[in-house]
Amino acid sequence: MTIDEIRQYIQRELLLDETAVIEPDQDLLLSETLDSLSVTRLVQHLESQLGVTIPPEDVTLENFSSLQAIHAYLGTTEA
Amino acid sequence: MQTGFLIHSAVQAWARKTPDAPAMVFGGEMQSYGELWAASERLAAALLANGLQRSDRVGVFMRKGLELGPAIYGTLLAGGAFVPLDPAVPVERLEFMLRDCGIRHVVTTEAMRPVLQALAERTGEDEVAPTLYGVEGVPGFTSVSPGDLAQEPAAAPAAWITDQDLAYIMYTSGSTGEPKGMMHSHRGSLSYARWGLQHVGLTPEDRVASHAPLHFDLSIFDFFSTSQAGGAVVLVPEAVTKFPASWTELVEKERVSVVFTVPFTLIEMLERGALDQRNLSSLRWILFGGEAFPPKHLRALMERLPQVKFTNVYGPAEAPSCTCHDVQSIAVGDESPISIGTVSVGSDDLILGEDDEPVGVGTTGELCIRSTTLTLGYWNRPELNKRAFFTRPSLGHFPDVYFRTGDLVARGEDGQLSFLGRKDRMVKTRGHRVELDEVEAALASHPSVFEAATFTVPDGSGSRSILAAVSLVGGRALASAALRQHVRDKLPPYAVPREITIIDDFPRTTSGKIDRRQLAQASDPSTDVPRP
Repeated sequence: MTIDEIRQYIQRELLLDETAVIEPDQDLLLSETLDSLSVTRLVQHLESQLGVTIPPEDVTLENFSSLQAIHAYLGTTEA
Repeated sequence: MQTGFLIHSAVQAWARKTPDAPAMVFGGEMQSYGELWAASERLAAALLANGLQRSDRVGVFMRKGLELGPAIYGTLLAGGAFVPLDPAVPVERLEFMLRDCGIRHVVTTEAMRPVLQALAERTGEDEVAPTLYGVEGVPGFTSVSPGDLAQEPAAAPAAWITDQDLAYIMYTSGSTGEPKGMMHSHRGSLSYARWGLQHVGLTPEDRVASHAPLHFDLSIFDFFSTSQAGGAVVLVPEAVTKFPASWTELVEKERVSVVFTVPFTLIEMLERGALDQRNLSSLRWILFGGEAFPPKHLRALMERLPQVKFTNVYGPAEAPSCTCHDVQSIAVGDESPISIGTVSVGSDDLILGEDDEPVGVGTTGELCIRSTTLTLGYWNRPELNKRAFFTRPSLGHFPDVYFRTGDLVARGEDGQLSFLGRKDRMVKTRGHRVELDEVEAALASHPSVFEAATFTVPDGSGSRSILAAVSLVGGRALASAALRQHVRDKLPPYAVPREITIIDDFPRTTSGKIDRRQLAQASDPSTDVPRP
């Protein structure tokens, strides 16, 4: 899954705003882009799209702080 | 000279007795009681040097960090009252609060610079601009930089205040469309702090997690009950609160012993906290409040953490911790709501029926409270104060002030109180109080909106989400995203509706009112709509 695809999901489904600007390295958490419910929805979406299981202990600040971080984390699960 | 019974007196005492003991912990760094007190003294000196007068309001505008303790205790030491300003709040609302309670001083951090700059652009050269403490110069403001603060003398300044003086003002959602600030004295705050100290038996060994944001009154327990005991406050970064597995990792790593939070956090911790991977043996007491805890989730959590005691704490921010209930066990299949218990030490309840007369056991009425923790009233809202408070002879003796909570309760045969809903349209979303009327006012303030209605549906995690439907002024077009942005500019993030649907016509009740129950059922067929 590309950074753009993750971005589009967040824009369309979580922010309900397709024009929202989200930079790859932008902190999704401090900027209030994501709250805890939207993190859960994002995880469920990634799991169903990629056919992987993301264990709870991987859903952390480090892995979900930015688009880049999510992308890098997914790289480790898809292998 | 100050009397011995002020909120910050305990910090001063522990700074003398155990100066090296941890007072605040954040991101792996520790601030000792000695350091906390010295930093508080320096801020107090700076505030007084910049003209702070007794009971002046001081905004605390920052995210969690080691600057937070000195901001609070320095303000109190100088004789001021602190006003927590939500760092995620839109600029418009921030400006409202600054003006509403006449804040002339704001303690902040470098991280808040973008919002401060946006504030300066909004207000221009204006009398609203407060003096800033803790940042390098921000155009449009007088600033006292961190370097300047470090130069201030660490010596307790004399501020002549008593325990009846104002300690803090906490803003919450107001049904008129504007937030309202409730005032608390040193005496009331101390009463709340000492309730926590005694109920939980806090000691210097305790490490109390501060999970709630400062503008949420659970934080008053975190800071003040812990400092009474000489324990450590473990500040939970905002970002960590969004990740149950990161939160439980922090509990383990920082050996957290006590936490007071909302059921939502605990349910997420149970379901997504990776509890199998964690050693949470340091935890000894979990207090929860803000909304109802679904019994099946609480029972599951109690099974996972058998060494932990659980207390349901009830009390609006106007009268914190006025009742509580230690939950011993919940039988399998028992889905009856967790009782809010009985009144705490220093509180007294009165349940009034529709005729304003006390009701008997088993009858539903509005819970009215008199309490040593009671607010002094709402800042600058005389009409609201007339409605929310009344005086009545207590127990046939002298008259005392009661607060109308707006909560409907009934007393059972066993004396325990059950929470049965609200009299008005206030809702809780993840523990935060939101007046739906305020959300509707924000939606309706958009020029293209004709009518707006809000309602709530279950969010699947034991709390409720706010949804909205609006109709437009004839001939106007409006994208849902644009309206959402409009509302985001006015309301704190937790009050922004999760979805806004634009509809042609509202369903109506026979009396012609918008049928919010039908709207909610259309959005979520499983929903049980609480009483309006």
